[in-house]
Amino acid sequence: MRVRVDRARCVGHGRCYVLAPDVFEDDERGHCVLIRESLTPDLEEQARRGAENCPEGAISLEDGPARPLRRAS
Amino acid sequence: MAKVVDPDTGRVNLFSEDFARCPQAGYAELRSRCPVGRMVMTGSPVISRYEDVAWALRHPEIFSSEMEAQLALGTERPMIPQQIDPPAQTRYRKLLDPHFSRRKMEELAPAIARHATELIDAFEKQGRCEFDSAFAIPLPCSAFLHLLGLPLADLDFFLRLKDGIIRPQKNRPGVPLDQLQGVRKESGAGIYEYFERTLDDREARPREDMLTALMRAEIEGERLSRTEILDICFLLLLAGLDTVTATLGCNMAYLAANPEQRRRLVRDPALIPGAVEELLRWETPVVAVPRVVKRNVTIGDVELVEGELATLLLGAANTDDAHFDDAQRVDFERERNIHMAFGAGPHRCLGSHLARMELRVAMEVWHARIPEYRIAPGETVRYSPGIREALYLPLVWEV
Repeated sequence: MRVRVDRARCVGHGRCYVLAPDVFEDDERGHCVLIRESLTPDLEEQARRGAENCPEGAISLEDGPARPLRRAS
Repeated sequence: MAKVVDPDTGRVNLFSEDFARCPQAGYAELRSRCPVGRMVMTGSPVISRYEDVAWALRHPEIFSSEMEAQLALGTERPMIPQQIDPPAQTRYRKLLDPHFSRRKMEELAPAIARHATELIDAFEKQGRCEFDSAFAIPLPCSAFLHLLGLPLADLDFFLRLKDGIIRPQKNRPGVPLDQLQGVRKESGAGIYEYFERTLDDREARPREDMLTALMRAEIEGERLSRTEILDICFLLLLAGLDTVTATLGCNMAYLAANPEQRRRLVRDPALIPGAVEELLRWETPVVAVPRVVKRNVTIGDVELVEGELATLLLGAANTDDAHFDDAQRVDFERERNIHMAFGAGPHRCLGSHLARMELRVAMEVWHARIPEYRIAPGETVRYSPGIREALYLPLVWEV
């Protein structure tokens, strides 16, 4: 699984690096920086937690098992 | 009980105490019946669905933060960076964000914990306190003083001036509105004066503190002007104190009324950060943020007209069933919590990491000391309209 951050969307809520500290860290402004792009299986759950808690939807995961971010209505 | 949507006119009324006490049912009514409603009296638009609120927050070119002067609480100029739009706002945020990063705020945690402990020391043996005045008001004020490197002895001075601006009616029952505006102006002038003096002092005697750092900071090679620094200080004071006070009160009122939830936190303090997030979502003490409509735009089937003042109802967005699983349930272990209690988009609350740290530390210290408490029998918690501060929150416990 790979993780991507759209730095243009990030405004520094900081949820990702609090919830997934092994995948994301903060830069000087408190915006998101990727520690690693390619994830070993043990980090996938953490990464997913960080990604789905970004209020700006700035983080995406690829090649992972699909899990809807929004509940189907 | 005053209805949030008037059955005759269809207009929205957010300013009743009933609504402030328990707004969630009203939010649901707004989202389903009039997602873009019109306010009583003014007719200005009120937006309540998550999707619409988030979209507006992320489009500052349409929903501007540059407010008319009458909304600027006793200030002479716009507050920086809150009342300025990108791209100018972005330059200020680049400069300010590092001073409010999570790392920096965590460094203040031990001092906040000490102050929380001292506050509790003063009333624990009495078995009761009025939470707002005994804890929720002084704690964020001391955090603000620590943050800026100001003496704790100035606490009462700040509290008085802050109230003069945000709640000029407090301690002045029956004073007409136009005179209260005078109180606002005077209090505002007092704050400008205080910071002028302090900045003079830092100029003569630089320190390792935020004010000195602001005086040395540069945007694209240019230092901030004295005026800019004053406007930033003004915002920090107004935005940093009341909001955390209100959130502390909302949280404690909830936990006092929901002992099973509270006992889970006491048993497992590791749940506290999640509880802080969930109570921010559920209570959303900063109910709404205002924006000025810059050009005509249609949301749903309602046209917003250039120049209108829109109310973005963060509280309604945060309890929107379309965006949160089981949105009406308070779940401290919620897996996905993308609440916008600190807003979203470029104006995401500058102090969000400070607030989160204060809330977490306060909850930890309090529940380690006073795990069992309740609202004093026969008493009713009073909430203020606008920012939902639990103005009267009498708590009792066994000693």
